[in-house]
Amino acid sequence: MTRMKLLVVEDEAKLADYLRKGLTEEGFVVDVARNGVDGLHLAAEGDYDLVLLDGMLPGIDGLAVLAALRQSQQTPVLMLTARSQVEDRVKGLQAGADDYLVKPFAFSELLARIQALLRRGRPTQTPAEATVLKLSDLELDLIRRKAVRAGKRLELTAKEFNLLSLLLRRAGEVLSRTELAEQVWDMNFDSETNVVEVAVRRLRTKLDQPFDRPLLHTVRGMGYVLEAREP
Amino acid sequence: MTTVRTAPGLGARLSRSLALLTGVGLGLVCAAVYAVIALTLLQRQDETLDQKQAAIAQLLGERGPGHSVAELQHLLSDVLAGHAELSLRVTTADGQVIFDKAPAQSWPGKQRSFNVPVTAGPATSVLLALDQRGDNALMQRLAWTLACTAVGGALAVSAGAYWLVRRGLVPLHRLVDQTRLVTAHDLDRRLDGSGQPMELQPLIEQFNALLGRLDGAYRQMEAFNADVAHELNTPLATLISSSELALRRSRSAEEMRDVLGSNLEELHRMAGIIGDMLFLSHADNGSDARRDRVDSLAHLASEVIDFHEAAMHEAGLQATVVGEAAAQVDARLLRRAISNLLGNATRYGLAGTTVTVRINRVDASSVAVAVENSGPGIAPEHLPRLFDRFYRVDVARADADRNHGLGLAIVAAIARMHGGRATAESSGGTTRVGLLLRDA
Repeated sequence: MTRMKLLVVEDEAKLADYLRKGLTEEGFVVDVARNGVDGLHLAAEGDYDLVLLDGMLPGIDGLAVLAALRQSQQTPVLMLTARSQVEDRVKGLQAGADDYLVKPFAFSELLARIQALLRRGRPTQTPAEATVLKLSDLELDLIRRKAVRAGKRLELTAKEFNLLSLLLRRAGEVLSRTELAEQVWDMNFDSETNVVEVAVRRLRTKLDQPFDRPLLHTVRGMGYVLEAREP
Repeated sequence: MTTVRTAPGLGARLSRSLALLTGVGLGLVCAAVYAVIALTLLQRQDETLDQKQAAIAQLLGERGPGHSVAELQHLLSDVLAGHAELSLRVTTADGQVIFDKAPAQSWPGKQRSFNVPVTAGPATSVLLALDQRGDNALMQRLAWTLACTAVGGALAVSAGAYWLVRRGLVPLHRLVDQTRLVTAHDLDRRLDGSGQPMELQPLIEQFNALLGRLDGAYRQMEAFNADVAHELNTPLATLISSSELALRRSRSAEEMRDVLGSNLEELHRMAGIIGDMLFLSHADNGSDARRDRVDSLAHLASEVIDFHEAAMHEAGLQATVVGEAAAQVDARLLRRAISNLLGNATRYGLAGTTVTVRINRVDASSVAVAVENSGPGIAPEHLPRLFDRFYRVDVARADADRNHGLGLAIVAAIARMHGGRATAESSGGTTRVGLLLRDA
């Protein structure tokens, strides 16, 4: 597969550099524009797979860039906005943004959104989803909602099953607490409670405790990842 | 500061108006007095002339041949006695002047000339004159006196009014001096209403009430600033010291990863606090809920219970939903509010008990959603402040690092965004905290 081309339109130098670095490391080809005029020019001329657009830019602001871009291009646009007001999000989406992310955001979440948008753009590339997921000695039957590890059936609640299947579908990828809350429980707000931690801890006692090799790992400050690590 | 266009002073304005009014009033009175007196004087002059004319006519008419001229003269002087203003000349038909009391100067304006028929001869002609100068002088004096009285009276009233207004405003000046003493640092000072006139009492009461509200708001803001600084200071201190420590000597990648991970946790915590504060500030600025019809609030609540299932199970708590209603609400915000309430109930709920989410329609336009738990309860003095930002009933709680004390403030903000309010009650070991939502 050819490498995806991304355009980052962001005026804050430090954040722009960090986005370039992070996304390049993830295998994207990244161009950066520091203002709305350059951004619009590049987005209209270059053939990008996705544009990351800051909502507040010097010169012309993000919404104006977006509106101008939509005159000619249907490139997926992910808005980055410092304003958490609902109206701004609505305005952004109305102006043709495909998704938005409120600053400050976790890089892992940004990555997840980018991948989701790119997947959405190429629906035919992914084959019909497997109904049985496997990792090491863990096996998940999505249809019969059965989880088996090393031949032993795991007694999971419905939400625990959903949590495990999400982690397994995206095995090797660090998922943040916010993303888990959103994907598994449909709770799309930052909660100051530790409910996700507790849920993961309880899943871990069923998934990992009876076995030698843990599969579910905590990545400090980032979230959780399901992977078979070398002992 | 904006400049305010001020109206002229109350004292000057009042004294000017009063002077004008008094001037007009006194002027009218004086004019009337003058007119009446002038008219009366004229009438008196005419009466005197009529009277004397009759007397003279009678005297001359009755004059027989026997009367000597000297005798007649004497009788005529008697008629004129006491009337210095009258002049008289009597001329017989043959041109002989038998009586002549000429005026000091020329003959004055008011004259009567008539003939008296005499039985024994031709008519005698009489010229009777009245000197008005005395009366005119009197009227002139009167006019001057009245004019001076009117002007003087108006001036006196004006000065008096000015003085009275000044004196009447003294309490106001005293109030101004008192208000000048109130600064941001002693908002607990109040205006002293004793000895102030009745009219100013409502103003003083209102001003004091305003000061009370300001004082409360100011204290809350100061405490809020201190709390924000404290809440942000703790993770910052950790971040600074852990980063410094990491950079002091060379560390392995594993160690560095650990430090960065720990720093990231603190940063998330700070971002969480700031995100919540931004949310509260938007709510304060009148941001409204985006309402959609939710057919089952019970279903919405049980979804949030699902989210908290693991944490509640670990705390030994059961959860149920009692009651049901459909409403126009912002589902996302309401989930967040219920989640915060359930988080609290999990923290304070007694193991082995049940946490109940109660939903009921209070009336046609409002719905109550409350979370009830059994536990130590909340002392009545804490209840009113429960929804204040960063307010903690128990200052030294072990989980303070996760719970930064904005959860219930957010619940209250969400209630306000729905045109309602937050509610809290606690008695007999049961604590119920919730929201009253206006169902638009």
